[in-house]
Amino acid sequence: MDRRWEEATSGGMGMRFIPLVWAGLWRRPARTILTGLCIVIAFLLLGLLDGVNAGFAKAIADAHRDLLMTNTRVRGGGLMPISAMATIQTIPGVKLVAQRAYFMGSYREPAAQNMVAAIATQPELFFRLRPQFMAAKGGLDAMRENRAGMLATPAMLEYFGLKVGDTITVRSQTLKTDGSRDWTFSIVGTFDTIKEPTRATFGIINYAYLDEYRVENRGTAEIFYVRIADPTKAVATAAAIDRIFANSSHETRTQSDQDRAEFLAKQMGDVEFFTDAIMGAVLFTLAFLTGNTLRQSLHERIPEFAVLKTLGYSDARVLSLAYTEALLLFIPAAALGLALAYLAAPLGKEDIGAIVVSPAVAATGLLCAGFLALLGASLPALRLARMSIVASLSKR
Amino acid sequence: MNIVSQILAVTAMNLRSIPQRLGNSLVIVVGIAGVVAVLISVLAMYLGFRTTIDGDASAERVIVLSRGASAENESGLSRENVAAVMNAAGIKHDAQDRPVVSAELILVAPVARKRDNSDVYVTLRGVGPQYFVLRPELKLVSGRLFRAGNQELLVGASAGGQFAGLEIGSQIRLQDGDWTIVGTFAGGNGSRESEVIADAQTVMSAYKIDAFNSVSVLRASGDGLATLKTALAEDSTVAVDVRTEPEYLATASGSVNRMLQLVAYSIGSIMALGALFGALNSMHSAVAARTVEIATLRAIGFTSLSVAIAVLIEALLLALAGAMAGAAIAYGAFNGSTISTLGGAVWDSQLVYSLNITPSLVVIAIVLACVLGLLGGLFPAIRAARSNVADAFHER
Repeated sequence: MDRRWEEATSGGMGMRFIPLVWAGLWRRPARTILTGLCIVIAFLLLGLLDGVNAGFAKAIADAHRDLLMTNTRVRGGGLMPISAMATIQTIPGVKLVAQRAYFMGSYREPAAQNMVAAIATQPELFFRLRPQFMAAKGGLDAMRENRAGMLATPAMLEYFGLKVGDTITVRSQTLKTDGSRDWTFSIVGTFDTIKEPTRATFGIINYAYLDEYRVENRGTAEIFYVRIADPTKAVATAAAIDRIFANSSHETRTQSDQDRAEFLAKQMGDVEFFTDAIMGAVLFTLAFLTGNTLRQSLHERIPEFAVLKTLGYSDARVLSLAYTEALLLFIPAAALGLALAYLAAPLGKEDIGAIVVSPAVAATGLLCAGFLALLGASLPALRLARMSIVASLSKR
Repeated sequence: MNIVSQILAVTAMNLRSIPQRLGNSLVIVVGIAGVVAVLISVLAMYLGFRTTIDGDASAERVIVLSRGASAENESGLSRENVAAVMNAAGIKHDAQDRPVVSAELILVAPVARKRDNSDVYVTLRGVGPQYFVLRPELKLVSGRLFRAGNQELLVGASAGGQFAGLEIGSQIRLQDGDWTIVGTFAGGNGSRESEVIADAQTVMSAYKIDAFNSVSVLRASGDGLATLKTALAEDSTVAVDVRTEPEYLATASGSVNRMLQLVAYSIGSIMALGALFGALNSMHSAVAARTVEIATLRAIGFTSLSVAIAVLIEALLLALAGAMAGAAIAYGAFNGSTISTLGGAVWDSQLVYSLNITPSLVVIAIVLACVLGLLGGLFPAIRAARSNVADAFHER
């Protein structure tokens, strides 16, 4: 028996519970550390995978249920006439409508690296409808005063080396009434986006200006944004909007922002099935591995536990010693793994999308760790508790 | 005894004792099986995706896009542009002296995925009359070809298998009414099989679109490619980029590709690290449990090198067993199954591909398992070799 064992047992029955567990845990430091590292790695992976699921779930939950988007049902088909805005406005429960048309072109050569994209809309309505975009102070007034104005994201200005007050001439596929394809805008202000502010490089222009000077698709919009008063009426209102356009050349599909987020998540492929399958494989492997370690570790100490029983430890107490030891091995290692997952999550943002290691993910992870610890310790611990003292001691 | 027979003797002794410490040895097998199963499943997904896209490439085919466009859906070619390309020198002509070309445009059609009934898009490709001449690998397998002017569709075999409502005779609501499916086609490696095709002119009149996305041509034998490039460069009415199909596909690998690659390698390496700790742990215990046996061997004249190598061999064999088990699991669960994810010709259209656990994937798995086995066995082997004979007996 080593010194720590003696110290731990010397304080009298029940008084030195934690030191006893601690001594058991570090009986073979190499094994404890290696097992701990396995647990850390497993929970790093579990945290990240569950974080991917949570990321999708969050995107869906964050989406606004009171915001509807009306698109043409068949993409690339007939655009919706702008006059429909007024009709949509008359549907009961509709609070606000804004149109959106797309404008694209290149600022300079080479075109592929210098594309400028802009949303043509009524800026005042648009910013009220889309709270993830925030116009800087004075921007909306400036857009009202200057029809050829453009609001740009700071990232876009930085990318092209422009500043507020500059003008930008964009060569576009969109033909102007004067026969040219060069559209000039003055940058009158900036706006921020909540999502990925560093990667959002686009502008917002006045729909009225674009529509007055373009030759094709005049008087049309690609999307209507609709704010409704009561989110629970989203489905009925969406259906009412689509009825306006039924059997026209531009049938629509109206979805709430939330439906759309869910739709996009599904488009990725079956992400959740995939992450769940891997998580299952990881958990099984980990359960097997740690179960084996616990079995070995407890098995080696049968005589020592027998001594404890001789000293008057009850079966329940011996059991709780074993369980506590397993928990002490699992929980800190799992917590460390989840913390690493939290730190690693931003690395996948670019290619995978948001990985959210939320408190819920962490809680699920820790619960899982606790369950695995108890499961792994159960079999050997029960055997331990049932064993007669004589038989146990004779194993010495 | 020479070193080889010593190693064989010790290895045989070690292997014969495995049944007595089965749980411990299985840790290596199960740990590595888990890593291998996950890694090769994800790699099979990645490779399935890649080969489906790249596999149809033929250096005989040339794709013409508008200048600066890196993908079909970024490119736009007017009817005049297309006429200029079709009449250019360097294109192969058929028996009737018509150039073998297909001017194409891509759109999407809404469909439901059979497995989870989710709404997704397939690529709807408007093609020229020579499409099947240009792509001899594709064959009509049932039904008939579409007739120009009728709103009729042909469905690729993979798309028909993966999505609902694409049987011959059924109709899809697209722009300008219902379109009827009149036949199915198959062949090649599958990226085209994920698509639905129709006559380009019919699509353009229904969608009121007046531009194509791309022109694919068969190059004339000899220096047809150079001739075509020169001819189009000298033609001042067009601004296009000319690439062979393999060149085009190399530049057009999308974000899904990057994501799958990242997922495969990051999950694979994290799991490998976890399995390495597991293997270390297991071999460590294996050596620790046999301290006395090893000391006995050393005492009767076995060299430390032969003891160490025998430990390594044991680790290696267990790892290989794990690799086999993992490959078998992946094979049983996924081989031959067909999935669809984003990755079609349009940014949000689906690509259908199958997962194949190929021999080369199994080789990767075996190499990985060997590396893990060797690394996992190395430190325990050194420990075994260094064990002091006198101390080992003393511990008893």
